[in-house]
Amino acid sequence: MADVCAVPEQLTGVEEKLLTFTKVVNEKIKIDQTPREVIWTLNKTRLIRYQPVLPASQRHKVPLLLVFALMNRPSILDLRPENSYVHYMLHQGYDLYLLDWGIPGPEDKDLKFDDYVLDYLTRAIRKLKSFAGVEEFSMLGWCIGAILSTCYAALRPDDGLRNLILLTAPLDYSNPDMTFAKWIKEPNFNVDLVLETFGNMPGQMMDAGARILKPVENYLGNYLRLWDNLDKPAAVQAWQAMNTWVNDNIPMAGGAFRQLVTDLYRNDRLIKAEWHLRGERVDPANIKANLLTVIAEADHITPPCMSKTIIDRVGSKDKTLHYIHGGHIGIMVGSSANRVTWPYMNDWLAARSE
Amino acid sequence: MPEQQAPNGKPFDPVESFREVRDNYLDSWAKVMIDVVNTDAYARATGSMLETALSMSAPFRTAVEKAMLQTLQQLSMPSRNDFVSLAQRVSNVELKLDDVDAKLDRIEKLLTKGPAAQRTRPATRARRPPARAEERKG
Repeated sequence: MADVCAVPEQLTGVEEKLLTFTKVVNEKIKIDQTPREVIWTLNKTRLIRYQPVLPASQRHKVPLLLVFALMNRPSILDLRPENSYVHYMLHQGYDLYLLDWGIPGPEDKDLKFDDYVLDYLTRAIRKLKSFAGVEEFSMLGWCIGAILSTCYAALRPDDGLRNLILLTAPLDYSNPDMTFAKWIKEPNFNVDLVLETFGNMPGQMMDAGARILKPVENYLGNYLRLWDNLDKPAAVQAWQAMNTWVNDNIPMAGGAFRQLVTDLYRNDRLIKAEWHLRGERVDPANIKANLLTVIAEADHITPPCMSKTIIDRVGSKDKTLHYIHGGHIGIMVGSSANRVTWPYMNDWLAARSE
Repeated sequence: MPEQQAPNGKPFDPVESFREVRDNYLDSWAKVMIDVVNTDAYARATGSMLETALSMSAPFRTAVEKAMLQTLQQLSMPSRNDFVSLAQRVSNVELKLDDVDAKLDRIEKLLTKGPAAQRTRPATRARRPPARAEERKG
């Protein structure tokens, strides 16, 4: 029989747990802390070079540029020292650079993929090559960053891109059953009205959209998982780091968002080689770089059908398609990332970086 | 009173049993909700709600913007549009500066490579990265 006298103590315990829970949920922790220097800026965009940890003689000859999405912070690549892709790659001997797109302001509402690829990315790569004193480089594009990287690789195939890694790349929009595609097809979503109202696409709206894809897991399960692990400091810290990143939403430039909706989701122009950036046709067949496409099997944001067809469209002779068990973000920051995803990508890249 | 034992020999934990029931329930619920948000009806309904909300708020927003603009003009203060225009001009200047930087890089590269090529020596690095220069010192 339950001890009635113990009830007040148990209630105190629950109260303390609730207080801790509230504190953990509302507290932001420091992420993105690997030492770095900014070597180039243009508008809000910054080209960052991470401080190498190995001497030059032990590093790979070909530097690696990380290109992340436009609507989230790239700090996901460097969450905590014990769970940081940046940290891992530095210790594998890469000269590592990151293109941080920054936060678009009202003055950037007309920025399009044309500008991001042909002005920002192209110029940042010029600076990277000049700074590093190299003619060749590798590029890893994740999510929307993979769209930008693909466009660059197709439009500037002779610009020194040796290796291209596309991570959960949303390139093929031909499947009308994808949830996002249903939401933003005509007449369900009035993109002009949204952008007329806000200028840029608000980060909170995109975040809500991504969360609603899995509403129970994101709005309830996520917090229950924290509640269950509240007495495990390592789990709490990992949860807080992820929560800090997830809630650090940034808007997406209006012009680019309109292209994402109309040119890609509604008309699937990229994979069909019908997309034009500043009059230049983006034809994946022009891509010559060694290509690795990594697909997350349980990706609900970029389902595998969006990423796998590119492998048949590119002109690259050396091309690899690789599936990893996990979700859109989980494959890069989940518990198995440093045992599965990172070593695989490193092995592929290291063999092609000398 | 002896503790109740689970079949696997571990002490019976009622909280753990509750968690299992809860997680199973949430899993089923999660699957249903994923299917719900993937329907055309859901897509139409949310799209329609968003459009209605934005359309209804538009007149108020326009009125507030006009009033704000007039107030700022009367106070001889710059408006949001003035700042936007200024920021765009600064971005254009940055682009021009980057063009100049690129040209300087090319010139420096030619100057470095020119004499080296004449002496039929292998081409050297156009510009030594500051970080590597520091490493050599170390």
